[in-house]
Amino acid sequence: MAGLKLQDVRKNFGAVEVIKGVDLEVEHGEFVVFVGPSGCGKSTLLRMVAGLEETTSGRIEIGGRLVNNVEPRDRGVAMVFQSYALYPHMSVYDNVGFGLKLAGTPRDERDAKIRAAARVLQMEHLLDRKPAQLSGGQRQRVAIGRAIVREPDVFLFDEPLSNLDAALRVDMRMELARLHTDLGATMIYVTHDQVEAMTLADKIVVLQGGIVQQVGSPLELYNRPANLFVAGFIGSPKMNFIEVTVDGTTNDGVRVANSLLASPALVGQRQGMAPSDTLTLGVRPHALQLDDTGPIGGAVTLVERLGNETIVRVRLDAATEITAALAGQREIALGEPVRLGFEPVDAHLFAADGRRL
Amino acid sequence: MTAAKPKAWLARLLLALLMTVTLLPFLSMFTAALAPSGSYPNGLSWPDDPQWNNFVKAFEAANMGQLLLSSTLIVLGVVPISVLAATMAGYGLAKLTGGRNKWIYLVFVAGLTLPFEAVITPLYYEVRAFGLLNTRFAIILPLIGLYMPFSVYWMRAHFLNVPNDLTEAAQLDGATRWKEFWLVQVPLARPAIMSLTILLFLWTWNQFLLPVVLVRDPSLRTMAGALGAFQGQWGTDVPLLCAGSLLILAPTVLLFLVFQRHFVAALLQGSVKG
Repeated sequence: MAGLKLQDVRKNFGAVEVIKGVDLEVEHGEFVVFVGPSGCGKSTLLRMVAGLEETTSGRIEIGGRLVNNVEPRDRGVAMVFQSYALYPHMSVYDNVGFGLKLAGTPRDERDAKIRAAARVLQMEHLLDRKPAQLSGGQRQRVAIGRAIVREPDVFLFDEPLSNLDAALRVDMRMELARLHTDLGATMIYVTHDQVEAMTLADKIVVLQGGIVQQVGSPLELYNRPANLFVAGFIGSPKMNFIEVTVDGTTNDGVRVANSLLASPALVGQRQGMAPSDTLTLGVRPHALQLDDTGPIGGAVTLVERLGNETIVRVRLDAATEITAALAGQREIALGEPVRLGFEPVDAHLFAADGRRL
Repeated sequence: MTAAKPKAWLARLLLALLMTVTLLPFLSMFTAALAPSGSYPNGLSWPDDPQWNNFVKAFEAANMGQLLLSSTLIVLGVVPISVLAATMAGYGLAKLTGGRNKWIYLVFVAGLTLPFEAVITPLYYEVRAFGLLNTRFAIILPLIGLYMPFSVYWMRAHFLNVPNDLTEAAQLDGATRWKEFWLVQVPLARPAIMSLTILLFLWTWNQFLLPVVLVRDPSLRTMAGALGAFQGQWGTDVPLLCAGSLLILAPTVLLFLVFQRHFVAALLQGSVKG
């Protein structure tokens, strides 16, 4: 078991740089999630750690050992693929035991390890089957089992749940979290699904365009997003953004205004801005509440009743709509005018370059 | 339902027609094989006195027992080596060569366009220069070479369709390239290997031109190459030629009956992958 260290890691495909200098430290036993939109380089970065992609420059260390030029099989990593990548001609038993067989593990020991992994993953009854006879969730379990028996230093998961249906995905997510607790192993997990990232991670790495946008715990990212991208990416529904200008400061924070706002809004932040600066105001849908004197007003264009909460879309002008997630079941009709407000501490301000102030 | 019926009948009629066209030559050969030796039977007439022992005569005249052995030796010399080399080359070209080396594959494609007959004369001199004329190697070695373009093309097409994830999973599981090839790729390629084996067997078994040109001793030729034995200096004994041909066909027909399923798969594979 070991940690992982990336130092100014870069990757070029021909003339195109896809990973633009990533620095990252992962402690032993941490569950780290790489998250970002498609094409952000998260899978490439994972494959570089696995050794399946060459590293153009920079250092990759696993357990304190430089592995840039080490073959994938000698890096002490195991990987679970999105496609599962099970060997179709082998039974589940042989699939799980393939790595051990190659390593020359004695038969008894191999058998014990395979059965132990099967027990952990509750798939003992599947050992004699071929992959084609398994459901998607079962296949993913086998793929995870194949990784477990090798007792790697680092587990790598490449979007392992994205081929599963929604209900199964939630189940497997919980199982993965349990597995991480049980094994106490270092795990790196790639996903484009921020909910998976929030629920599984000790530490989230948000990537975009081959650059790390922010590294932090799920709540750090949620509460203090480093920039507009992270603010928009983490959290569901997405954070609302409204362009505003600084109107003045008070003891409680800064007052911002905009022709879209029914009245100036107060944000609990005072540093890094000057009067009449143009900033972006960010408010999470869950921070908005119905408030007759609130700064945001408009007509309701969409109501989604989820039972525990009611999601409403409110149109401020022809081009701007915001989303509010109101607790409980609300009687709101389409077209009805509403006013929304928020606590000053729940709002964020971003500079023109996207940085959070 | 009512519209489908005439169509179905039309389809059956067409099939029957095709079957007749295919079978007629065989039937004609069969009746001719039963005519008295040395005669010139015509068409499809059933002989008054069927000469069943023509088959025995043909078997002896052409020294079929010896030829069966010879054909078998040649097939055993050609097919396993060709299949093995093509499987490895196909894997290499599909999975291990990329970027600047992609053109290597085009060399094999170029080989596909080369007509067999065009190389027979240079081949003759080459084989003679090696001192292999009149040995079975004169048939075996050129055939292996001549089969390579198609075989490599065939196997490469298969390996291209194997997802890269499997290769990567095997690598991460600790497999060297060599082990990955034998333990993961070859078992998965079994259908492609099987169909290639069958096709190469057929082509080798029916090989006529090469043995006739490169090997003078008929007992060293393939069975098909032995048909020359019935073309005497003073003419051709048609009934014996027909009986001999039917005897030569027999092993392939037997093989077909045994491996019917794979044959169909082989042909289908060809139709999809072209």
